Amino acid sequence: MSTLQHTQYEQMTDEELVEHSLTNEDAFYSLIKRYEPVLLRYIHRMTSVNREEAEDILQDIFIKLYRNLNGFDTALKFSSWVYRIAHNEIISQYRKKKQAQYSIELDAGDDESRSLLNFLSDTMSVESEYIDKEKANLVGAVLESLAPKYRDVLVLRYFEDLSYDEISDILRKPPGSVATLINRAKDKFKKIAVKHKLESI
Amino acid sequence: MNDISKDTLKKIKEQRIVPRTKNYFLLRRSTVWMLFGLSIVLGSLAASVAVFQINNAEWDLFKHYRHSVLEFILLFIPYLWILFLIGFSIIAFYYFRRTESGYRYRAVTAVVLSILLSVAGGFAVYKTGLSERIETAFEDNIPFYRGTSFHSRMVWMAPEKGLLAGKITGIAEDGTIKLTDLNGKEWEINAGDALWRGRLSAVPELEIKLIGSKTDNNCFTAKEIRPWRGRQKNQGMGMGRQRGKMHQGMNSSQ
Repeated sequence: MSTLQHTQYEQMTDEELVEHSLTNEDAFYSLIKRYEPVLLRYIHRMTSVNREEAEDILQDIFIKLYRNLNGFDTALKFSSWVYRIAHNEIISQYRKKKQAQYSIELDAGDDESRSLLNFLSDTMSVESEYIDKEKANLVGAVLESLAPKYRDVLVLRYFEDLSYDEISDILRKPPGSVATLINRAKDKFKKIAVKHKLESI
Repeated sequence: MNDISKDTLKKIKEQRIVPRTKNYFLLRRSTVWMLFGLSIVLGSLAASVAVFQINNAEWDLFKHYRHSVLEFILLFIPYLWILFLIGFSIIAFYYFRRTESGYRYRAVTAVVLSILLSVAGGFAVYKTGLSERIETAFEDNIPFYRGTSFHSRMVWMAPEKGLLAGKITGIAEDGTIKLTDLNGKEWEINAGDALWRGRLSAVPELEIKLIGSKTDNNCFTAKEIRPWRGRQKNQGMGMGRQRGKMHQGMNSSQ
């Protein structure tokens, strides 16, 4: 792919790239390149697989994406559709390898773990600026102990920073149910966090 | 770090992976909508028979029925068809949730919407008269279905309350009708002053329902005689259905 072509593709919207990808594989390369870091991070947040396994999952996601390009519903945001495919693939991989752990790994001092902890501040007096590696790890451990349905919504809401409508499109659930699920997940998270004395760190 | 995107593209080219066609997705979406539509149609047929049964139930029997109103109403509720209606509405909901944007609706909203669509369709089908044909087909061909109306039939087995049903076994010279009721008991029916609904006349083997009073252990004076399978609405207009053939459901209860 020439540099000129690459620059042209970089300036295109996701939807335009989808159109071009149907006739030009290089456009598809630009499209997936855009989502590679985002999805790789998402896979790591949703699973405890190592880097190689995460890359394998990501490749499967991209191939599924390519196969289904004509099925992209333009009523959706492309990013929501990509997350939906990624989410389904992760769940499908998890079911295939039930023996493998399905847990959260957070980077030390993760900004997103701070965002997840902010909602606890009313009841737990958490000073967000003091969130450190230990706290981030503990957030990860708490998330890991949650049921997958609660973990999913917390990761999408607080780590991927997505709106309720986007989460609704990804999980194929009504926005109202997403809001309820997030509230329940927050309650569960709080209870476990208190139990693990998250505020004492 | 590997360039996963590059590796993916290489794999796509090597394995000659191609995107599924637009028609594939069109067919998939159409199939889901078709199955949703089919569930609504089947739900409408079930609703139409339920409407037909409710509309044609013999509500005027209440004055002879000495139990509670609720008990009387429960006796005539078409449970089976309502169950079918709910079942098909749930199936319709299942497929609706699988349409492109069906997941955005709350489950309760989608189920209620499916039921309302089926009920609206049911009234439309009822107007065409198809519901009566469906019910007759079920009664004639499905023994299980006949069994489900056993309780409402047994309302007629209350001679003390003035209700009796059975099959004419003979007609005496003085006009007294000999009748075997649903339990196999022999009766002598005085029908001299009875009003015959549905253009009936007394012939052996005819199945009838009688409203009147018990005058002796095996004697009954009829004030009104209805055909066993006639419909209340039609009877009122003097056009009730009369069928000469034996009602099998009645046999089974004897």
